Amino acid sequence: MNKNRRVLNRILTIFFIVVQIVWVGLPILMAVLWSLVDPDHPWSFPNVFPEYLSWAQWKYVFNYTNILRALKTSYLLAPCAVLLSLLLSLPTAYVLGRKNVKGKKFFQTLVLLPIIMPGMVVALFLSRVFAAFHLTQSFFGLVLAHTLMGIPYMIRVLTASFEAIPQDIIDAAENLGANTWIKIKDILLPMVRPGLLSGIVFVFTASIEEFNLTFIIGTPTFETIPTILYSFLGYNFIRTNASVVALIMMIPNIIMLFVVERLLKSDYLSASLGKL
Amino acid sequence: MKRTLLLAMGLLITMSLFAAGPAIDYKTAGWDKIVAAAKAEGQVTFYAWYFPDYFKEAAKDFEAMYGIKANVIIGDQTANFNKAISEKDSQVGTIDVMIVGGQWVKTTTDLNLFYGPIKNIIPDAEKVAPALWEVQEGVLTKGYLAPFHRNQTGILYDPERVTNPPQTWEELVAWIKAHPKEFGFNDPSKGGSGQSFVHTVIAKTTGGLDKYKGDQELVQSKVANWDLAWKWLNENKDNMTITVSNNDSIIRMNGGEISMTVAWDDNVKDMISKGNLFKRAKMYIPKMGLAGGGDTMGVLKNAQHKAAALLWIHFIESKEQQLKKFQMVGAYPARTDMKIEGTLLTEEDRKNNAIAWFPAPYKDYMIKEFVKNVMMK
Repeated sequence: MNKNRRVLNRILTIFFIVVQIVWVGLPILMAVLWSLVDPDHPWSFPNVFPEYLSWAQWKYVFNYTNILRALKTSYLLAPCAVLLSLLLSLPTAYVLGRKNVKGKKFFQTLVLLPIIMPGMVVALFLSRVFAAFHLTQSFFGLVLAHTLMGIPYMIRVLTASFEAIPQDIIDAAENLGANTWIKIKDILLPMVRPGLLSGIVFVFTASIEEFNLTFIIGTPTFETIPTILYSFLGYNFIRTNASVVALIMMIPNIIMLFVVERLLKSDYLSASLGKL
Repeated sequence: MKRTLLLAMGLLITMSLFAAGPAIDYKTAGWDKIVAAAKAEGQVTFYAWYFPDYFKEAAKDFEAMYGIKANVIIGDQTANFNKAISEKDSQVGTIDVMIVGGQWVKTTTDLNLFYGPIKNIIPDAEKVAPALWEVQEGVLTKGYLAPFHRNQTGILYDPERVTNPPQTWEELVAWIKAHPKEFGFNDPSKGGSGQSFVHTVIAKTTGGLDKYKGDQELVQSKVANWDLAWKWLNENKDNMTITVSNNDSIIRMNGGEISMTVAWDDNVKDMISKGNLFKRAKMYIPKMGLAGGGDTMGVLKNAQHKAAALLWIHFIESKEQQLKKFQMVGAYPARTDMKIEGTLLTEEDRKNNAIAWFPAPYKDYMIKEFVKNVMMK
């Protein structure tokens, strides 16, 4: 029995590793290789690997695009959008997750609308509204736009987290004399922390990757990394340059995911449930 | 008190009018006044979707020459036009001047997006692709859009795999049959090189292109036999590779999936220079003919810096910049008074085998009908 389990575990581990290599590792490896292709020695059929590697494509992107300006804007914008999404989503998610509100399901679907509709359609219609309120070409306008695209993720994840908190724990705290502030500080917030961190990751990455709204309401005053990436990815697809920009966009996100993963290890909810 | 207030208001109004500068009619003002107005505007915002290297250098040169800052935004083609269209009804837009490709010329012309005609404003306009000033890929542009460069579709091939590339329609048909899946062209709704190929298929299977000349509207009786073209394409579809964009065709050739494709010469040069296509690639315009054209630049009607936009166009069309553009990115100059060496396509090919597009209503119809009759079958 134990032997069978060990074999099964080994098969599952190997399967997981293979899937990770094919799904995540290979595309990243290809992006790295394409980003290092030397312009004078193209990587062409029948070569399995590039013959020469150089930093020329990286130099090209840094010399001829506004990537530094875009990096600065992207990494200033994303934390602001995360913060605003958090502030707006926490009370909404609490109500949707813990209170019996009429039309709850309807509201839960409604908040998802911005991500269900095609990005360019949202951008085109919203740009009119933003223009009417003089919010185009402004950093605050971009923060609002990115918040709007991030809120659905944050609300969805936080609502599920609030729903998962057992009422018994809250009742027990009340019986022991906990006031509202203590309940928020010591029960609700610690228990939704995994959801909170997941929401932060979703909103942060959504903001870093947002193209349509930024392009329509932000350029030419503001450029973000995707506005540069799309110039190499869209109609005029240049794989070498697109790989460089994609890696520039990907590396900070991967670091953030590892940080969040470490924070998630101290999972309050499971710890609390284990004690029950 | 009341009098003082009125005086102050009057003074403020006069000052604000003065600060805004005198409104000039660019069509009659004369070039020197436009240059002065451009310098007073101090900046220009230009949208493109390719050649970031060349435009960044051009912006530096422009600033050095005129002291006017050029904000170059390299976006995505569709996004650029969506932005311009979304700002169409605003009194002042954020884009001053932009590149217009064949894919969007009809939509933007129908929407009356551009200021003009500007042909009579820009000095030396007659030295820049005269036909392209009037018609861009079958659409009558009537001097509103300034030619930026000329490009041409041709057959791109890998000389290591194709020893005797086809010249005539019959030779091409035989080659496709003998080399299944090795010939590629892109879905015409996704790029001009695929449009050019289908355009030639229509010409060869339905009796030439002469009958469409000069038509402003689609004449239904003239497209009645286009089912012959769709029939040929459907019969040979399995022997060809339909790609998703101009660049995708080139990328697939670089990867060895196909050995021959229809492509734009400027795309090919750009891809070679960036290491995305092998240097051994060769290109020609076959005797059966393929269409060409060029991209243009248009000044938006609601541009904030119209004079600077006109000056930018003149600057980009200058001999020095056209040569610099060719040297940096290999794009064939729009000027006709320049001799260029080292082009991918020979002058002889351009002269003898390049053909003109049929009028825009037919091209529009061709794209829609291709999707309906070939892609969806």
